[in-house]
Amino acid sequence: MLGNFEYKRIRSIEEGCQYLAEAAGDGAVLAGGTDLLVEIRNGLKSPQLLVDCKGLDVLNVFSVDDSRSTIGASVALNQLIEHRVFRTTHPALADALASIGTYQLRNRATLVGNICNASPAADAAPVLLVLDAVVEVAGVEGPRTVPVRSFFAGVKKTTLKPDEIVTAIALPARSGLRTAFRKQQRIRGHDLAVVNAAGAYSPAKKVLKLAIGSCAPTPVLLDPIEVDSKDNEAFADHVIETVLRAVSPISDVRASAGYRNAVLPILVKRILHELLFEGSGA
Amino acid sequence: MYDIRFTVNGQPEHATVPATMTLLDLLRDRLALTGTKEGCGIGECGACTVLLDGKPITSCLMLAVEADGHDIETIEGEAVGGGLSVLQQAFIDTGAIQCGFCTPGMIMSARGLLNRTPDPSDENIVEAIAGNLCRCTGYEAIIAAVRLAADRLAGAKQGRGQS
Repeated sequence: MLGNFEYKRIRSIEEGCQYLAEAAGDGAVLAGGTDLLVEIRNGLKSPQLLVDCKGLDVLNVFSVDDSRSTIGASVALNQLIEHRVFRTTHPALADALASIGTYQLRNRATLVGNICNASPAADAAPVLLVLDAVVEVAGVEGPRTVPVRSFFAGVKKTTLKPDEIVTAIALPARSGLRTAFRKQQRIRGHDLAVVNAAGAYSPAKKVLKLAIGSCAPTPVLLDPIEVDSKDNEAFADHVIETVLRAVSPISDVRASAGYRNAVLPILVKRILHELLFEGSGA
Repeated sequence: MYDIRFTVNGQPEHATVPATMTLLDLLRDRLALTGTKEGCGIGECGACTVLLDGKPITSCLMLAVEADGHDIETIEGEAVGGGLSVLQQAFIDTGAIQCGFCTPGMIMSARGLLNRTPDPSDENIVEAIAGNLCRCTGYEAIIAAVRLAADRLAGAKQGRGQS
């Protein structure tokens, strides 16, 4: 037995928002449950009400194309990872999702859940940040959208109101972006990221976006960096200096702050190599 | 309490469960299907792996009430008609079992893999069982068992095609 809560399988999003409003902060949305049920078991959270959104067909769909992709709140990670068009359209995001947990977990865990859980180490977060993803939200006062860069409020905290449900994540047009994801973890399948990072480079605009996870209370999106590729070494040094100024890693059970500060430049260099220093713009 | 209907190994089931009961507890404590094991209880060890609509999941991280309307398969569904399944026999033949605690979960993960990838590479096998911890065998024999089962199933299929 896990905790002490009521369970509602909702028949409409409005109904779900109403239940959450009545629960006044003591409710939680249940999607895959792979974070929420662990936190309840470990006594870290004790919601009085779980609102299960998986019965709603409208949340269990995703669409992917070059102009815009939308991923519903109940879509499991493996549905995306195993979808050929998703993988080729959003390779860095697919890499990030495939690095989460185990195969069994990825059959339950969702992309929306990954960001709603708001772990500083959320693997999808850096990629969504560099892709300028938008979070689609429903609440008792109606729908709204939140840029993912305004979504995280702190460790395990988002800017959602208690009655709000994230219905989908929208990704704008790729428009020639080259993207990459890198993650350092101690063991595969049973651990969170010690450091993770994503980059998106626009060869047309010569602008690089970088986002870093697990090195601050929230995933960090850096200001866009203009790319001067005349001297790769000097440019890499400049980027790494900028990255290290933007983060504030702590020592925890997974790694020391010093280790994180040492690993981060390596991940950033690998991303720069993949996006800028090798191959031609595609 | 919540009334739920679901199937386990093809058999229709009905149960009245509290919201806080996990699928694992429903299987073990209500349905006496104790082949599915509880290891860590937090989705890390894979001992509680069952198939949900044909896909492996950890039953410790799913509420019983969430099983309403779904098909569950457990290790008890492997041996049909009293004989061992091809996967079970392959685990025995390669010595892929020592204490046996991880084995039901391993076999269910392998079953899920063979459902989606009948001819898996070693890399596919490693990825499929990455969420199943074994503290005895060192995994080599388990990977060999899944490979052997896939080969035997492919052989049986080919044999049928020829006859």
